[in-house]
Amino acid sequence: MEADKDNANPTILNPSDLPSRRRSAPTAKRVGIFEALAPANISPADPLAPPVASDSTLSDDEREEIDEQEVYDLISTISDPEHPLSLGSLGVVTLDDIAIIPPASPRSRISSVRVLITPTTSACSLTTVIGLGVKVRLLNALPPRFRVDVRIKEGTSRTADEVNKQLGDKERVAAAMENRSLVNVVNNMLATCA
Amino acid sequence: MPSLSLLAAAHPSCNARTWLSTPHPHLPIIATACSDKTVRIYSLQNFQQQSTISGGHKRSIRSCAWKPNSRGESVLATGSFDASAGIWRRWEEGSGRAGRPEMDYTNGLAGGDGDEGDDEDEWRFAVILDGHDSEIKSLSFSPIAPLLATCSRDKSVWIWEELEDDNFETVAVLQEHEGDVKCVAWHPSEQMLASGSYDDNIRMWKEDVDDWACCALLTGHEGTVWWVEFEDTNNIYALGSSETLNDEQRAYVDTRLKTGPRLMSCSDDMTIRVWRRVPKDKPEQQPNQLKAPSIWKNRAFEEEWVEDTRLPRAHEQPVFAVSWSRKTGKVVSAGSDGKIVVYEERWKSGADALATIGDGQIDRSAGLTEWVVVAETVNAHDVFEINHVVWAPRADRGKRVDEEEVVVSTGDDGEVKVWVVDT
Repeated sequence: MEADKDNANPTILNPSDLPSRRRSAPTAKRVGIFEALAPANISPADPLAPPVASDSTLSDDEREEIDEQEVYDLISTISDPEHPLSLGSLGVVTLDDIAIIPPASPRSRISSVRVLITPTTSACSLTTVIGLGVKVRLLNALPPRFRVDVRIKEGTSRTADEVNKQLGDKERVAAAMENRSLVNVVNNMLATCA
Repeated sequence: MPSLSLLAAAHPSCNARTWLSTPHPHLPIIATACSDKTVRIYSLQNFQQQSTISGGHKRSIRSCAWKPNSRGESVLATGSFDASAGIWRRWEEGSGRAGRPEMDYTNGLAGGDGDEGDDEDEWRFAVILDGHDSEIKSLSFSPIAPLLATCSRDKSVWIWEELEDDNFETVAVLQEHEGDVKCVAWHPSEQMLASGSYDDNIRMWKEDVDDWACCALLTGHEGTVWWVEFEDTNNIYALGSSETLNDEQRAYVDTRLKTGPRLMSCSDDMTIRVWRRVPKDKPEQQPNQLKAPSIWKNRAFEEEWVEDTRLPRAHEQPVFAVSWSRKTGKVVSAGSDGKIVVYEERWKSGADALATIGDGQIDRSAGLTEWVVVAETVNAHDVFEINHVVWAPRADRGKRVDEEEVVVSTGDDGEVKVWVVDT
């Protein structure tokens, strides 16, 4: 079984070495707030479910600042599709590789979150799935004013350009989220997120 | 900078992403393709939902297109992520009684829908077109021939011929693109199709003797081509009547009439580009070619299209849609950054135009005109992405002039918004 994996012996980071804000409020609670704001149409849990909330009610919350640590907390607990380990502990996502980009013009209210992911091996065939999991997690958890840009960190994968283009294509991501087997894989990855 | 003012939002909105809205060829309605597997028909008179098409597709409806020149009965094609296209029919108001014999005939063919009266207002599922391997992204009816084009993530473009009502035959499967085909658009007056792809290229297709084939490859975009559209055959007159033009401008108009409608494309690379056909040498200038008929034939089939110009850079994110007004020649664009931008083509002022001509005669067909942004609005769909934008005839009571147009935008927020442009 182990031999079938792309990377049977990944490097695992010590949980105490992972970045954390170490605040008293549990992350789970904050995540819950964001989930209520998520655009229902991209929900991986059940793409057919009725929408949870309209965006028109969130104008006050919109001003709430979101920082890199918060984005890290949202995605570091995603499980690797191959290993029973989190993307944070495998070093697939790191705090340093998350950037929040403010609106391009004073009139725009649209910000971007850029996440660079580091596959566990350079040939990892599951890179696209991992990227999709990160993308879906952020699309669901962040307010809709964030454009989510998930890319493979330069020089870490031979297929980076191809994967980046796929993850950047909203039509492909939307169609993927209507594919039952892909949804199941992503849901399993996200099951470990609080 | 003038803004676009919001006239109305279609009601009720969809509670999931909406992909595209397209105006009916002659009725004051639009059809909106929704990710909840339905198409909503909204009135452009009061902006209320008029009817819904549902039950035909297993996944998101990505695109829909009206059959042009239909009378008495509306025909809509739907393209879905479930890899199939559907054809739907509905009697138009006022045609019910007069069209009775035809209706009976159609019902008979459809296998007997005995109920009369009530069903007249309903959308009837006519036929399903299967063949693509994966999601259909776009589809389009030819304005001059009984042809329907569909395109898909499976990298192919299919051309279907409607032999008789609801009998569609595949006449071509075009597979030269190296990635998802995102959009297809027909030339307004020739049997020629343009397609834009995830491979960053645009291809033109037409029939060569018996087979459809690629007659031009348009390269240059540095990202997925999300939308392509031809201009109207008569768009040149948006630049003014011929009496007011000087000699250079008149020569330019002649060249443009000779090259025919141009193509516009928008892309993930944030640019909007205009492409034009390079006119061929007149046949009488190449009498020697007649000795080599096969080469001659090939030369006659292939076309050269070049980038003519780019619209001013107005978007900060990928541009998902452009629409070229058939009435005014104005262009509207929208995309991920939530902006709607309107552009107009103008004659360059005297000094600019002379400078261009001074460069020599080669670039004479380009360079006499320029595109300028004439209106824009930001956050048009709150913070959501705009998937589609299109010109439509204005039909509400506030209509000010004959042939006035509105802009219809369709967004990730499930909203369809109608805008008035004051320029």
